[in-house]
Amino acid sequence: MENVWVLAALWVGLALIATLLAIWFKISTALTEIVVGTVAQFVIMAFIGHGGLGAKAGWVTFLAGAGAVVLTFLAGAELDSVIFRTKWKEATVVGLVGFFGPFLGCAAIAHYVLHWGARPSWLAGVALSTTSVAVVYAVMLELGFNKTDFGKAILASCFINDIGTVIALGLIFSPFTLKTLIFVVVSVLVFAALPFVTPRFFHKYGGRVSELEAKYLLFVLFAMGGLAVWAGSEAVLPAYMIGMVLAGTIGKDHILVRRLRTLTFGLLTPFYFLRAGSFVSVPALLAAPLVFVVLFFAKMFSKIVGLLPTVRAFQYQREEGLYYTLMMSTGLTFGTISALFGLNHNIITEAQYSFLVATVIGSAVIPTVIANAFFMPRHLLPKAAKTTKQAQALPLEVLADADAD
Amino acid sequence: MEHRRHTRFQKILIGYDGSEQSEKAVDAAISIARCHDAYVLALAVARPPEPPTSVELEATLDDAREHFEAGLKKVVERAQDQGVTIETDFAVGHPGEQLIHRAEEEHFDLIIVGRRGTSLFQKMILGSVSERVLRYAHCPVMVVK
Repeated sequence: MENVWVLAALWVGLALIATLLAIWFKISTALTEIVVGTVAQFVIMAFIGHGGLGAKAGWVTFLAGAGAVVLTFLAGAELDSVIFRTKWKEATVVGLVGFFGPFLGCAAIAHYVLHWGARPSWLAGVALSTTSVAVVYAVMLELGFNKTDFGKAILASCFINDIGTVIALGLIFSPFTLKTLIFVVVSVLVFAALPFVTPRFFHKYGGRVSELEAKYLLFVLFAMGGLAVWAGSEAVLPAYMIGMVLAGTIGKDHILVRRLRTLTFGLLTPFYFLRAGSFVSVPALLAAPLVFVVLFFAKMFSKIVGLLPTVRAFQYQREEGLYYTLMMSTGLTFGTISALFGLNHNIITEAQYSFLVATVIGSAVIPTVIANAFFMPRHLLPKAAKTTKQAQALPLEVLADADAD
Repeated sequence: MEHRRHTRFQKILIGYDGSEQSEKAVDAAISIARCHDAYVLALAVARPPEPPTSVELEATLDDAREHFEAGLKKVVERAQDQGVTIETDFAVGHPGEQLIHRAEEEHFDLIIVGRRGTSLFQKMILGSVSERVLRYAHCPVMVVK
């Protein structure tokens, strides 16, 4: 498809459909975009043929890559540094267990059970090691645990878990060369300088119509992303770190964060998630569904085996411990980013990518459904169930009395 | 009948989502509160997408907060005009569960919700808020159509 505008209209049209589906079913837009991308690519390939959605076009690749970078930056910027400082011990223990359990477990299963090569197996370990800060945070908000010490520790541990994933993704697949050393040294210097330089720069030149803040941040993200790729690493690694070091300053600038969200959601991430979905091969998934089952249970089992005793050690009861473990077993964004990194760098095949993305989606949806259905520590529910028979609708006479009064 | 005649509502909880039905629920609550001199709380609940991604979750909560704040401000003013004081609050989660939870925790004795015309498919997938409240609430529930 050579007409850029027609192709752009097709992608944005699909993003629109995905958003409508997300609104109707109250599910994540990221999820619907991946699924719509997969279905659209499958249908176009089946009925029209070669080329499909044009996911490998240069400008699509750039917009999708920028989406992943900005999305990762914003995720990092949501770190609450106060919580992190006060709860770093618990967070480090739970976070590292949450990362290393599935990282090692899934890599081992991929290698010894599925007979994948060493590099694809390590990538599977990285992609399936993620957790979702957002899922855990949403549950915390719902239950009011976000204000408790345990809740804060769990949230901080999710960040540690994801740092493990991002560092592993950024460093494990690149040979350690002089370039890597330069990348690490420059990164450390930039990460140290940004929290001091950025607020002063914004204070002096920011708050104008020209959106200097957004340009500054995109410049830093793209420059550090470029350095990371030059060193054989991945652009999301510095993006996440930059988000974290600027969380205390930029993260608190509500208006700026909202502007970035508009840019991210309105234009960038639809390209990222639709593109990630378009590379999923439906025939490959249908040809060997057991691979998905094996990877899914590998992720769940390795998360639960490591996290459940760890969370219980911090004195959480049976159902609540299992609930949090299941919540920490989800992870959509970093899972797809890792899998796409593997596909782009020829570490994994299209079939392996398809299984990994399907597992990431499965692990985002299935634990949530199970946790909501069977392990809700919503303490009111058992009581509510007992009082079901007693629950009563308002007698009409009462309303009549009220009106009469 | 004797029991019904003496039923008094001292604490009324309204499920508010900005819809036409929830506005009707507010009107019913104001009417009852005037008769019973009751305390009224209008609770708006933001439901996060599942599974949420970090940025989307924050965006959803921000948007919901703004949307509800504007609506609830009008509700408070409308109630004041009729001599009733309504307090407002904002929660996150499944609306039905949050209403049931708040009603039980703070010993409300009447919950008023609007019934939206959800399709059969939406009911199957998402469940109806009013039906869930009606089924599990510890106190009387009024569903306004």
